[in-house]
Amino acid sequence: MKTILKTPLRILGILCATLSLINCSSDDSGETITEFNITSINPETGMVGTQVTLTGSNFPSEASAIDISFGGTMANIISASSTEIITSVPEGGSSGEVEVVANGFAKVAPSNFTVLSELVANTVQNLEAPQTGGQGQPIGGPFTKFSFATGAVTDSETDWDIAFRGTTIAVNGGVATGTAEEPVRNGNAGIAIENGIFSDLTSAAGITYLQDADGSFAVPQGSDEGWYNYNPATFTVTPIPGKILVIRTHDGYYAKVEILSYYRDAPAQPDAFMDESRVYTFNYVYNPNQGETSL
Amino acid sequence: MSLNKNNILNYFLIFFLQQAFAQQSYEQENDSILPQDLDEVVVTATRTLRQLSSLPLPVTLISKTQIQQTGVTRLDEILNEQTGIIMTPDATIGGGEGVQIQGISSDYVLVLIDGVPVVGRSSGNLDLSRLAVGNIKQVEIVKGPSSSLFGSEALGGVINIITEKPSSDKISGQISHRFASFNNQNTNISLEQRLDKVGYSLFFDRLSTDGYDLTPSTAGQTVNPFENYTLNARLYLDITQALDAFVSGRYFTQEFQLDADMSEEEDANVQIQINHQASEKASFQYEFYYTNYKTDERISDPIDDELFIENNFDQQLLRPEIRFNYAFQPKNTLTAGAGSNFESLDRSLFAERVSFNSQYLFTQYDFKPLEKLNLILGARFDNHSVYNSQLSPKVSAKYDINPQFSLKASVGSGFKAPDFRQLYLDFSNVAGGGYSVFGKEVELAGIQRLQANDEIASLQVELSDLGEPLEAESSVGYNFGLVYRQNKLSSELNLFRNDFRNLIDTRILAAKTNGQNVFGYINRERVYTQGIELDLKYKLLPNLDVSAGYQLLYAYDKDKLQAIDNGEVFARDPETFETIRITREDYFGLENRSRHTVNFKAFYEIPKWNSYANLRLTYRSKFGLTDSNGNDVLDTYDNSFVEGYALVNLALGKTFFKHYQIQIGANNLLNFQGTNPLGAADTNTIINPGIQLFTKINIQF
Repeated sequence: MKTILKTPLRILGILCATLSLINCSSDDSGETITEFNITSINPETGMVGTQVTLTGSNFPSEASAIDISFGGTMANIISASSTEIITSVPEGGSSGEVEVVANGFAKVAPSNFTVLSELVANTVQNLEAPQTGGQGQPIGGPFTKFSFATGAVTDSETDWDIAFRGTTIAVNGGVATGTAEEPVRNGNAGIAIENGIFSDLTSAAGITYLQDADGSFAVPQGSDEGWYNYNPATFTVTPIPGKILVIRTHDGYYAKVEILSYYRDAPAQPDAFMDESRVYTFNYVYNPNQGETSL
Repeated sequence: MSLNKNNILNYFLIFFLQQAFAQQSYEQENDSILPQDLDEVVVTATRTLRQLSSLPLPVTLISKTQIQQTGVTRLDEILNEQTGIIMTPDATIGGGEGVQIQGISSDYVLVLIDGVPVVGRSSGNLDLSRLAVGNIKQVEIVKGPSSSLFGSEALGGVINIITEKPSSDKISGQISHRFASFNNQNTNISLEQRLDKVGYSLFFDRLSTDGYDLTPSTAGQTVNPFENYTLNARLYLDITQALDAFVSGRYFTQEFQLDADMSEEEDANVQIQINHQASEKASFQYEFYYTNYKTDERISDPIDDELFIENNFDQQLLRPEIRFNYAFQPKNTLTAGAGSNFESLDRSLFAERVSFNSQYLFTQYDFKPLEKLNLILGARFDNHSVYNSQLSPKVSAKYDINPQFSLKASVGSGFKAPDFRQLYLDFSNVAGGGYSVFGKEVELAGIQRLQANDEIASLQVELSDLGEPLEAESSVGYNFGLVYRQNKLSSELNLFRNDFRNLIDTRILAAKTNGQNVFGYINRERVYTQGIELDLKYKLLPNLDVSAGYQLLYAYDKDKLQAIDNGEVFARDPETFETIRITREDYFGLENRSRHTVNFKAFYEIPKWNSYANLRLTYRSKFGLTDSNGNDVLDTYDNSFVEGYALVNLALGKTFFKHYQIQIGANNLLNFQGTNPLGAADTNTIINPGIQLFTKINIQF
């Protein structure tokens, strides 16, 4: 058998399938219909389009002889061999059993598959983050709190992830820093600043998340220290290109943020005297599946 | 731009055509306007008298005739027309201007008058428009590090203004008045006499102007009206055959007027020099120098006249120095010197008057080991009370291949001592947001004081790291030149490279409870500048000197290049907000540096009419003012570039009845105004106030 070339084998397979359709036995090919087995499914979670590998034995090596469904929705087969079927999570597929039908047998993968919700990618425009004081006076005023779950500013005391006041960014994790009128941290949010292209950063795993602490914010303050650069020649605050805030939300979800502008309507060339500042525009991607780190 | 260039071309066509028709065979030699004569002598390169053409270092000489015929009144104006030297905005356009030599900014250029330093820098920059050029013999510029002779600040080069010595036994002098656009009024009077044993020279200069505005659509002026006075008195004494003395006193005062605000500046200095020719071969020079620079600035609230900011600055320098020269043979000279600097500064932003002192020794051996080879070996040791001692060696060599061709090479080191600000600043900006800045010597005490007041939220550095002494900023400069001289042509090609390290930068020491930061200073940055300078001077006709100069410049921050190579630097497209990883090709280099600078000058004399005319053109290519997209790197995605531009200056002069000269001219003849990329949107913000016409009347007696 091993010396048989692939092409004749394939012809044989097609022949066999055709024969079986007209209810003829494939005895004359020398093979018997065998019961296949699924030993594992990997990964066990994924979004629509995620490649999923089923490992087992005695799979038909012809894709058209196999039907796979995710929670009842048929999936495309990318490749098949007697020990491995590679498929992808179908559009509309739902969490639950993954069923394989072939050779007249129907089998369910040993573990259920969880179809994850799609990443939420959005741009927040003109988030106002006013502050009082400054210019030598004590800085104050409430922070503007933001929730990734809702994708909006929130007044909730608990369901917020990050908060803005002027150039300061607070995170709902850790303890009070000591600044006036700061929100109470009651979640387990954390934040990390990564350097790179926003779309290239696709995982929140393996990153050390910092929390606000007594005397210091997790996002360092000051020009070139955290997310922005202050230019004394133009008096403008510019988000440092390539700085990506990776966030673990207060309730253990993950998100990434790229701040685009600190001025209302994100002008291409902000004028520190004409354009209203403390108005954020940022891109974010949020993974609405708890604990999932893909971004 | 192309229009401007065409115009320039036309002017020159007219110029040359006129010349072609007017051509006559004068054989007489004029005063040299563009130095190429063998008798040009400079002192700055070696601290001994040396023939300009024989020096192994790149030296630029600006003659008195050139200064007079161009009608300039201030040092900055004439420097800007020399190859490889440009005046460039020090921070913002319309603020002060600083000189840049071989791409090195004015912080690292030492400025001297008769060999002694001018002090009084504002944020590192020395305002050269303070220096009137009415009474000077020549300006000498040595390019490349010269700390081996001059110590601190001589990294990019040394500019030395040499004043005129009286020569006639009759009282002679001149009175002149120059009137120019923006109500710029300049009067100067000079008087001098040289008797048998005593000579004196007096100089007075007054300049006032209404200033000008680069942002016509907004209130207020860019340069406010000011007036300033310069007084200089010098005395020359021949005590014995072998002993002579020179005493000079100079005083400058300037006042800016602006409603309730006031800004005053004073600069005074005294120089005493005694020369003793101990023997035919040995001579001593004893020099004593004292200078004091003061500013007094008060900015008041325009409504209630309440004082906003009071900023006073009072810097003093006292310097005794001894120099010794010994001539082993006519061409082998040993120079040695020793001196001491006592400096102090009292400033509103300092806790108290601070002072430091330094002692130095230098030596130099200038010799000819071979007929065609000149070598200069020099070194200087500076011992300082606050920062680490410095040893600055330098080697230069010149080899004459034949009478036309010679090769020059020099390697030298330069340093700049941390300044008072970097050592002693103790400043909390109440008006500007409440941040604090501490100099190195006071940072530990400052942080501890803030901690005691509960103003520190968190420290960014270990307390034990604070107060470590700052290193001097230093550089090594390499110059390699090829000189070609022929009767009418003198040309020089110079390749240069300057490597800077330990440049002082600010860093955050701590976060304050008010959300602001505490800044300190640290040695961090490494940069380099390199390029090519080309100088051509040609006597096209007996009365027409033309010259052309070009500089190609690359100036980069080495650490930024490293970060770019590591792929850690990004830019954002201002329109699409797309983030792009920067490559070396995208990195434009250091701020305020033009890749190409060009000058072209033509000096024409018409003896039979007692007249002269000159046309000078300077061009600088595109340069960037500041990073604008937040990555702290000037890159092609920034929108802060000033497009390349040319300025054309014209001056015409005629002498009547031997004693009366009239000069008319125009600086920025083509009325270039440009556009400031940092100007507010929808406003007309220019970078040059446009054409400035002038007339000067001079009476010589």
